[in-house]
This record gives sequence, C-alpha cells and structure tokens, in this order.
Amino acid sequence: MRYLVISISVFLLSCGSYPKRHQFELSETTKDYSINPYFSDPAKDYVYKADISIFEKNFSGIFIVKKLGPDIHRVVFTTEMGNKIFDFSFLKNGFKVNYAVPNMNKKILIRILEKDFKALITENPLLKTSFKKNEETILECVIGDSKHYYYSKEQRLYKIVRVARGKEKVEFKFSEIDGNKSTNIQILHKKFDLKILLKAI
Amino acid sequence: MHDIPILSTVHAIATRVGVGFLLLFLFSASLLAQTKMAPAEATALEAKVKKLALTTETITSDFIQYKHLDFLSSDIKSTGKLSYKSPNLVKWEYLTPFEYALIFKEETLYINNEGKKSNMDMGSNKLFEQLNKLITNSIKGDMFDTEEFHISYYEKDHDSEVHFAPKNQKFSDFIKVFHLTFNEKGEVIAVKMVEPSDDYTQIIFSNRMVNTPLSDAVFGH
Repeated sequence: MRYLVISISVFLLSCGSYPKRHQFELSETTKDYSINPYFSDPAKDYVYKADISIFEKNFSGIFIVKKLGPDIHRVVFTTEMGNKIFDFSFLKNGFKVNYAVPNMNKKILIRILEKDFKALITENPLLKTSFKKNEETILECVIGDSKHYYYSKEQRLYKIVRVARGKEKVEFKFSEIDGNKSTNIQILHKKFDLKILLKAI
Repeated sequence: MHDIPILSTVHAIATRVGVGFLLLFLFSASLLAQTKMAPAEATALEAKVKKLALTTETITSDFIQYKHLDFLSSDIKSTGKLSYKSPNLVKWEYLTPFEYALIFKEETLYINNEGKKSNMDMGSNKLFEQLNKLITNSIKGDMFDTEEFHISYYEKDHDSEVHFAPKNQKFSDFIKVFHLTFNEKGEVIAVKMVEPSDDYTQIIFSNRMVNTPLSDAVFGH
C-alpha cells in the first residue's frame, strides 16, 4: 500500500501541471502594465527581416506588423522584393485573411500562423494566475483555448510559452530589448520543425 | 487538432510553398518593368527601346526600393545594386537594411541570404525559363509583348511611362500592372509593380552605367 501511494505520488508529480513541474510559486495577481508591449504602439511601423525554416526548407522575407486600433493589428509577410505572401487582420474577436498566395492558402497552415501571430501581438491576454520563481514573474494567460506562460525579468517580457496538456508546444523568445521594442524575436515550435526568426530592420 | 496529420500536411504544404516562394522571387524580379501617348510616338518609343536593348551588353545600376502598404505610416525603403550581362546573367542585390542577393545564371537561381547560400534548378520547369526571359527583357525595358500584356503608353514630363497589364490570369492574380518609366534615351529609370489591392513596390534606378566591362566574377555565388 505504501509503495502504491509513493508510485501514485511520483506519477502525479511527473504528470503535474506546468507550473508545478517548474516549481512556480503562486504570487499576487497584478495587471497594471502591458503584458506584451512589443507591438502595442499605433504610431510605429514594425518591420522585421524574417527567416523561416520549415522541414529543412528555408524562406526569407519581410514581416510587417501595424497596430491599427485597440485590439486590431495588421500582419503582412512579403518577399524581399515586396510581393505579398500573406496579409492578415487580427480583430478583437476575429481573424481575417486579406490575402494569401495560392500555395500558402491552406487551412492548416493559416491556422498555425494565426495562433502564432495572435500570441505574438496580443498586448493584454486574459490573465488567470500569477507565479514567481526566483527573480522572475510568470503570468498564466489564456489566448483562444490555449494556456500561455509569460516570463518576465525586471518587468521585461523575454519569453512566452504555449502549453498544452502540460507540455511546451511553442516558445516565443524576445531579445535585444530596448524599451518597448524587441529587435530579435524567435518563434520555435517544439512538436514539428517550424522556426520563425525575426530581426528588426 | 492531432499532431501526426499536422506533420504530414505541413510537410506537404512546405514543399508546395517552396515552389511558390521561388515563383514569387521570379515574379518580383520581373518588376524591372501620365497623358496618353499618340500611337506614332508609342511606336517610336518601342523601336527606340528595342534598338537600345540590342546594343546593351552590360548594365550596372544602383536602386532604391519603396514598398508601399496602405496601412503603414511610411514606405519600407531598401537599397541595392543591379548587374546585368548579356545575354542572361542577372544579379539583383540588396545592400541595406539587409544583405540579400539573387543571381540568375543559365538554368539556376542562386540565393545569398545574409551569407546563407542556396540555389534552385530552373531548367526543370518551363515556366521558370519563361520568367527568367521576362526578367532579362524587363531590365532592358524590352517587354513589348502584346501576347502577354495589355500595353498602354503615357507621356510624363520628358519621360515616357508604359503600363504592362498581364493577360495571364495567374500573373494578374499577383500583379495587376507593371509601370516602366523610360528616359529620353529609352532606358528604364523606374519600375512600379501594382498589386490587385493597389499596394505597390516602386524601384528607382540611379547611377546607371551601360556597356562598361563586367567580369563574370560579379555573378559568382
């Protein structure tokens, strides 16, 4: 019986929630600042050189984000020479494909990009719980039906992790941060080989 | 969503997207393409451009590219250098704000993306071959093919502007119309590529040098 209890405990620990497995401690929930400020300024044109690798195929181009109003963003990807590959509008409660080149216009691919870019640009996702670990703050938020953990050090967001069934699915890393601008951004999928690297130009 | 079908579907999409991206590079390179002009003047312009194209062995030129998207506060500006050597060597190179070069050489397209090099065989696809020809012709300005384009002619100060609207549905889904601006000598000095949404890419050429010796090493990968 004692072994059974130990076994169950070990099992529960290994299958525990994401915060438990990472030894997050509950913290007071506060929300008096932008959770993700990196695409929040409507006066700015956010322009990045993008390198995308998917199943060992590499593409590059220009990734453009513009905030057009509260909870409204336009996200466009073009070739270096300016041809549009896709053009999306993110609305408060909706998503619109303004354009996608025929080869890109596949439901499953659009859905992946929609989820990734929604997480990338959302300024204030629905905050559920706050945690801390050492000097870091971790906010558990929900976007759509997915849990996202926002990691900050000294109130500076440096990572978002999308988690499903306790496992990391996608990691968004922000570096070379200056104020509310992140010069380098990486979107890294853990379940399949998709990487999106963005460098501000 | 289940993971396994996603993997296979995404992989299949990636393969198709690869071809799509290449096509777009090619389409975009073909950029190197107002009062209505009288028919006689239009004929004279066409003859002048074609004659010049016949005697053009090499071209080098700087360029500034402006990408206009209606929702942006400013156009996205990039600069670079174009090199052309007859009959079909083309290098299209961005220098700021990023380094990126496309080289069209025989049946291969070479890409140098900030030091990461790759290439693609164009010979396996007839369409690529046709597009390559279009690029070469557009750099010289010689795109006057009424089978492929609806062509209209305009006067603009001392320059001429010719609009080439692709007849092919697949082309026109990407590009509504190319505007090529010619100077009095019949050289292409600007290209504007207008998308169906009316967003556009504009390329302005400067420091154009014609028929100065150009080593093949310029087109090395």
